[in-house]
Amino acid sequence: MFKNLNYAAVWRSLDDLAYGLGLALSLAVISIILGSLIGIVVAFSLTSKKKHLRIVSNGYVTGIRNIPLMIIVLFIYFGLPDIGLLFGQMESFIFALTIYAGAYLAEVFRGGLISIPVGITEAGMASGMSNLQINMFIKLPILLRSVMPALSNNFISLFKDTSIASVIAVQELTFQIRKINLDTFRTIEAWSFGTLIYVFVCIGIASILRIFERRLAIPR
Amino acid sequence: MNKQNRIRTSFAIISVMLASLVSTSSANAAESTLQDVLKRGYLLVGTGSGNAPWHFKDASGKLIGMDIDIAGMIAKGLFDDATKVKFIEQTPDSRIPNTLTNKVDITCQFMTVHGIRAQQVAFTKPYYREGVGLMMKKGSKYKTYADLRKAGAKVKVSILANVQATDYVHAALPNAKVLEFADPALSVAAVDAGRADAVAYDQSSIGWLISQFPGKYVDSGFGWMPQSYSCAMRPDDQVWINFVNQVLNEAMSGVEFEVYKASFKKWFGVTLPQPRIGMP
Repeated sequence: MFKNLNYAAVWRSLDDLAYGLGLALSLAVISIILGSLIGIVVAFSLTSKKKHLRIVSNGYVTGIRNIPLMIIVLFIYFGLPDIGLLFGQMESFIFALTIYAGAYLAEVFRGGLISIPVGITEAGMASGMSNLQINMFIKLPILLRSVMPALSNNFISLFKDTSIASVIAVQELTFQIRKINLDTFRTIEAWSFGTLIYVFVCIGIASILRIFERRLAIPR
Repeated sequence: MNKQNRIRTSFAIISVMLASLVSTSSANAAESTLQDVLKRGYLLVGTGSGNAPWHFKDASGKLIGMDIDIAGMIAKGLFDDATKVKFIEQTPDSRIPNTLTNKVDITCQFMTVHGIRAQQVAFTKPYYREGVGLMMKKGSKYKTYADLRKAGAKVKVSILANVQATDYVHAALPNAKVLEFADPALSVAAVDAGRADAVAYDQSSIGWLISQFPGKYVDSGFGWMPQSYSCAMRPDDQVWINFVNQVLNEAMSGVEFEVYKASFKKWFGVTLPQPRIGMP
């Protein structure tokens, strides 16, 4: 199986792979940013004193976390047009990955929120801050700095999840690797090189987040 | 020689004589598959599963499809009974090996005739000419191939991801945008959901979908990239090859034409014109 390896077909397609990687990164970055925003809002809802907010946000998190991403993507791309919601191809995938990311990140942020010492919140209340001011100026900064270690896991996962876009014909990295394989039948060469790309990018993401983590760490 | 040696020697001579008798008789008989099948009482056919309308299973688990019907036509030529067939399900890459090693008498499994395959197996005359066609949803703004062609780069065509799939589409619609999906069902779903204006799909499958979902789809009327589907047999059995070809010929233009015509209508929704009487 490892005899007669010939990577020429892979080198010939480097620009296609680069295009695919760029597209995967774009999809990941947009979905992670939007998903984080949703995650933070939902995390506050999950820990809210208002019951209806907790019920709605719990429903969202439980519902989405129990459905595989591919099914969400296929449903949005093929199913929603039946009820008149026709999003573009990229938009459909970003929509799917964003609501998927939001559900997982909400739990990460919720963990950060409940670990904030009560005393800090009470200090804010004693200073006369409103609930919104406490959330925005006290809880949020602490939250963002304390969840950094947990975020890298999710961000790496979400980047790898962009490979699911190939199922709706988005020409990201996995689609390009598969295309090389289909065109040349150089299965081991195509998939081994593609795997290496994913590995290096994920290591890169983890390293960047580590740097941020160290810079923004809450001093102990 | 002592007594024991003599017995051994005569035993050896007798076995050699018997062996040569057996081998001579089998060499003389040089039985064609035709005689073997007639003696056996049923035809052994290699085919696949899961590919409508060629070979797939109905609700009761019975194999049905055009390939199944073709096998039945050959069985009718043998036993006057189209049901005297036993099917061996095989994967596409077992088609040639199973045929060459006599695991099956013949393979009828939407097999495209290529020069490279014809070097290993003998093909019957083609019983279908497959091509790629374009299928649209009924009610689409594109009604025919000419409409699709005129729309140029505005048209989106979905297709199964395949070697040079994009080139196949561009051979018919040079400026169309191509969406390649991992399986054919998704490429058809893309047309259902309005993601693509047309799907480039096997002409036989288009015929099947249109007949299964009346009023849902429309055939663009344009087919390209012809390829022949034939059955495959061992190449050294001329008697068998001649017999099968004769049976298929009579099915497609002779005494069994009505059977072939009915299968064609059932699986592809197409009514064949009657063969012209007179010069064959």
